[in-house]
Amino acid sequence: MKRLITLDINDEVRSVAAHDHHTLLEVLRYDLSLTGSKQGCDKGDCGACTVLVDGDPVLSCCSLAAANEGKKVQTIEGLGNSSGPSQVQRAFDVSGALQCGFCQPGTILSAEALLRENSKPSETEIREALAGNLCRCTGYTKIIEAVKLASSGLSQHSGMLLGEATEGFDVIGAPARKADAIEKATGEALYTDDIVLPRMLHGKILRSPHAHANILSIDTSKAIALDGVHAVMIGKELPKSYCVIPWTPDETALCTDKVRYIGDGVAAVAAVDEETANKALDLIEVEYEVLDSVVDLDFALDEGAPLVHNTDWKGRDRTSNLCKRVALDFGDVDSGYELADERVDVQYFFEGSTHGAIEPHCAIAKWSPDQRLTLWSATQVPHYVHRAVADVLGIPQGDVRVIQPTLGGAFGGKSEPFDLEFCAALLSKKSGRPVKILYTREEVFYAHRGRHPMDMKMSLAAKRDGSLTAVESDIMIDGGAYHSFGMITAYYSGQLLTGPIDFPAYRFESKRVYTNKPSCGPKRGHGSVQPRFAFECGLDELAEKLSIDPIEIRRKNAMKSGQRTVNDQLVPSTGILECLDSVERQSDWKNRWGKMPFGKGVGVACSMYISGTAYPVYPNEMPQSAVILRGDRSGRITIFSGCSDIGQGSDGMLSAIISEETGVPLEFITVVSSDTELTPVDLGAYSSRITYMAGIAAQEAGQRLRARMVAAVSEAWEIPIERVGVTQGMVFDLKDGSKTATSQEAMQLAEAKSGTLGETGQYWTRKVGGKYRGGTIGASPAYSTTAHVAQVDVNPRSGVVTVEKVWAAHDCGRAINPVMVEGQIEGSVYMGWAEAILEEHTFHNSGLHKGPSLLDYRLPTSVETPEIITSIIETIDPGGPYGAKEAGEGPLHPIIPAIANAVFDAVGIRLRRTPFSPDKVLSALSTKLEGSDNA
Amino acid sequence: MLRMPEFKYAHPKSAQEAVDLMFSTENAHYVAGGTDLLPNIKNGLHEPSLLIGLGGLPKPEVTLSDGVISIDGGMKLAKLATSRTLLESAPSLAEACSLVAGPQIRNMGTLAGNVMLDTRCLYYNQSAFWRKSLGYCLKKTGDWCHVISSPKSCVASQSSDSVPVLMAMDASLVFLGRDGERRIKIRELFQFKGENHLKLERGELLVSVEVPASPDGALSCYRKVRPRGSIDFPQLGVAIVTSLVDDKIEHLAICVGAISPTPKMIKGLDVFYGKPLTDEVIEKIALIAKKQSRPQGSVEGGTKWRREMVAVEVELGLASFR
Repeated sequence: MKRLITLDINDEVRSVAAHDHHTLLEVLRYDLSLTGSKQGCDKGDCGACTVLVDGDPVLSCCSLAAANEGKKVQTIEGLGNSSGPSQVQRAFDVSGALQCGFCQPGTILSAEALLRENSKPSETEIREALAGNLCRCTGYTKIIEAVKLASSGLSQHSGMLLGEATEGFDVIGAPARKADAIEKATGEALYTDDIVLPRMLHGKILRSPHAHANILSIDTSKAIALDGVHAVMIGKELPKSYCVIPWTPDETALCTDKVRYIGDGVAAVAAVDEETANKALDLIEVEYEVLDSVVDLDFALDEGAPLVHNTDWKGRDRTSNLCKRVALDFGDVDSGYELADERVDVQYFFEGSTHGAIEPHCAIAKWSPDQRLTLWSATQVPHYVHRAVADVLGIPQGDVRVIQPTLGGAFGGKSEPFDLEFCAALLSKKSGRPVKILYTREEVFYAHRGRHPMDMKMSLAAKRDGSLTAVESDIMIDGGAYHSFGMITAYYSGQLLTGPIDFPAYRFESKRVYTNKPSCGPKRGHGSVQPRFAFECGLDELAEKLSIDPIEIRRKNAMKSGQRTVNDQLVPSTGILECLDSVERQSDWKNRWGKMPFGKGVGVACSMYISGTAYPVYPNEMPQSAVILRGDRSGRITIFSGCSDIGQGSDGMLSAIISEETGVPLEFITVVSSDTELTPVDLGAYSSRITYMAGIAAQEAGQRLRARMVAAVSEAWEIPIERVGVTQGMVFDLKDGSKTATSQEAMQLAEAKSGTLGETGQYWTRKVGGKYRGGTIGASPAYSTTAHVAQVDVNPRSGVVTVEKVWAAHDCGRAINPVMVEGQIEGSVYMGWAEAILEEHTFHNSGLHKGPSLLDYRLPTSVETPEIITSIIETIDPGGPYGAKEAGEGPLHPIIPAIANAVFDAVGIRLRRTPFSPDKVLSALSTKLEGSDNA
Repeated sequence: MLRMPEFKYAHPKSAQEAVDLMFSTENAHYVAGGTDLLPNIKNGLHEPSLLIGLGGLPKPEVTLSDGVISIDGGMKLAKLATSRTLLESAPSLAEACSLVAGPQIRNMGTLAGNVMLDTRCLYYNQSAFWRKSLGYCLKKTGDWCHVISSPKSCVASQSSDSVPVLMAMDASLVFLGRDGERRIKIRELFQFKGENHLKLERGELLVSVEVPASPDGALSCYRKVRPRGSIDFPQLGVAIVTSLVDDKIEHLAICVGAISPTPKMIKGLDVFYGKPLTDEVIEKIALIAKKQSRPQGSVEGGTKWRREMVAVEVELGLASFR
């Protein structure tokens, strides 16, 4: 029963009919259309819902709307005035603090409140004030910079470019704002859950409480009969199997015959509101036959273990839970062992972790009167969702449109189709109305698709001088209940280890197995972060035996640009030596490693990562990415690109390239992205492919448009084409500096001469990779390089490992926008450090996630996140756009082993299991006192 | 989004009105900041018919008179963290308040709410779906404690930061009930029952907390152990109140929190009265505290490690007084 309450929101007194039991957040978002305040965790754990009440930051999801009568409420929409955004909002924009932007309305309000009370806060005071606003993208570094900038006063900045470009360029290499950032800072950006359609229904999915059970019957009759329920569906209505990897279809939209993990979807409803939908779920009666489950990786391959999948994707009976086995052999490992002077055999375990993007998954489906489907979804792969939805629903691809709205973080957790997309689509069809499904935070944990737990045995052997002679690994991978990208994970776990540290002989065997738990999938640094941890720690153990400095042993075995790895991957450029030099120098390594007092230490590690997987996940000869340009007499260019901007700034990258090529300033470039009906295909934001592949496509399109402009100007001015120069905002005669025209005029000339301005550019698959089975998986047209040094303090009484500083050097080939690249490095380091120290995605024996909330699954706050000092190394890759390579995933890898190696320097123990929690450290310390150094 | 079941909201203007409402309504709850109650309702742990908001009561105050600091229950934790009176005369209470959760929650939460905080457990503070899947527990709906694998008792943990400090300070609490005010010592409030750890009369409202202002020579601290530097409940809380005369211990009280349904006052510390705070004495005190503390597994961090930390934190706390 609603009643009228009076709220003073942003200095406007409003009467709103609200339920007593609704929170301020619900009323703001759903009754007042003030969608700037976000919903991240449902219950007060993340801060995304922060608003100011009487000037103080509060959590609107924990405050009843009615309790705020008589108070002054300020939301993000209320900051700034008719002259524009507030100082704090602008500071966040120009500092690069807005990546995905989802946490920012809350963070900005907390910062605003701080500065009102304390106009010159110290860094500690800033971190404390923001300690209730979780950010998953930035590692807080640029957020802190933004608050400092706001407090010192920033001048009104009108342009997009914030500094000088690299020499020889006009835009490339310049720090620049992102076009979408200020809208995120003002709360105007529309994320999927912010979208409301007329007559929209709310869907909910019923999930299995059992880890493994046959579905004997489902009775939905009572749910259908409930007033306000408009559609109900069960798994059998969408029986077509799918998987993001098309060869291995092993899941259905909802379970058809059995459930395979606690949280697996069984039925779904659409109703007038979430509350009714929840009631409807309670009325669905499912009869389960509970089966024995296998939850432990160690038992998954035991004889007699319950089978998670009874048949494989070809319908043949399975005899074990083996999902994928990859075994490859290069060079002569056994001879390598013989040649060696020292060898280490180590075992490391990497615990599972999840992405924790602050925005939960959300999808809205709507059918047009002539039965064409539009799906808005918080996805980082609209193209793959497009294909899967058409396939599973049994409709032509041409009748499906997938739109990715502004997205609140992904990190690999939104890179395949999910149940809510299919269910929203079918429920919408059945009810004849749009249907939105929003995951609760708990459901995000069940959807998972995160870091695979890996149990890794590795052997590394080397000669006395440190040169490696052989490397071998044997890895067990816990895949959870479904395949996801599983076969890729199994390949990557071995294939991606072979650089930047080179070795002549290599053998690996990896087995991914099914267990009755939420499925694992790609998380930033897919399949490679875990083995890199084992390898870089093992390398340090080997260095210790050889009495060689850990940085020296890495230099000794470093690859060179243009070299091929032992598994036949060509690495056109590598900055491994430059990265090591950089972190060695900045951390004062030579004066500190091995020389600091007990409890303090430094550690190093390095890594290499792909700039896109060479081949698309479904075989085809079509471009992997394309850009269409539209320009006209107004002087504005629109870039149409299928790329998913997930906060990393791909829209900005495309704009920078087009601006560089055509001279049209960033202010006059619009990006329309990730709408499958408007934009050309791009495969998605995964495996760090976008800058390299879409960048090349953009370069081609930009050059074509520039050519038309130049040709038209050349004709109009009657000078040869070679004399037409292009720079920011204008064209000019290279021989007569007084002869100029604006970019707009140049476009008008081009439109008049050669017609309407539209150009395309694409990236075609480059044939790379070893010529052996599986040689293409792990192959990439280019590889980034990273090195980290971590400085730690280990408290020997409590076991707490505090990472005080991280020096991170990352070779991204060429930084198209250094602010964005730094943001990726900082965010990656933060995310890796969090996995090393704090995060564990673990389960009770029953298969139930131990703590599916952001209170139990802890994401670090601004207070404990270490200082991250980044260095961008540019090796100018011969194949990348302007030499650019990836920066989104590579920089995560080394921090975990660097911390472990630093702990060894500090207190002489080897931490072999993540996370490095205090009890593990204490236990290892006491074992060491008794004689061995294992943890 | 997690939605709450339907309930009504009332906004009384006085403590008595609130108490009367409570007594005349079946299944009502008081709500101040709501930062603990609302998430618990969203998790299906409560289904109230009415929430009685306490935000409309007269503006709360902190007053110092005759060596006693009176704190109205509705004082926000953020305000207590920076209160001049507390910082001068009860600094460890200000410290404890400053360490509760994160900034937003401290702006919303009250001292009374923190004192009355329900016990917490890894198996209890979860959604209805989760608890049904695992099997309900003793504290809610079921008859089995997952922590100790037994039907015998619930060991959900007291999780407030202010409580150990108030216990060490021997604070008093003033409750308003149907028949008027009742004053008790906080040390009499708790019972070892995770499902119902406060010895309260039905519907009582905590209206005031009284703490002795620290005399000269009084030293106190609150040490909170938690995984992150913000947001988290304590895995362990150690409050120490002591006074030294001529560098010798005149008085010593230690309370360990977040280990069991009740906060633990360490016994037998009077044997150290008259002794100086040497390393040896500190170590002995720490060992006694550790011996008497038995952390239950209802809270993150394990039982063994948290027990070790009791000694570590007591040592660090005592050493900070030198």
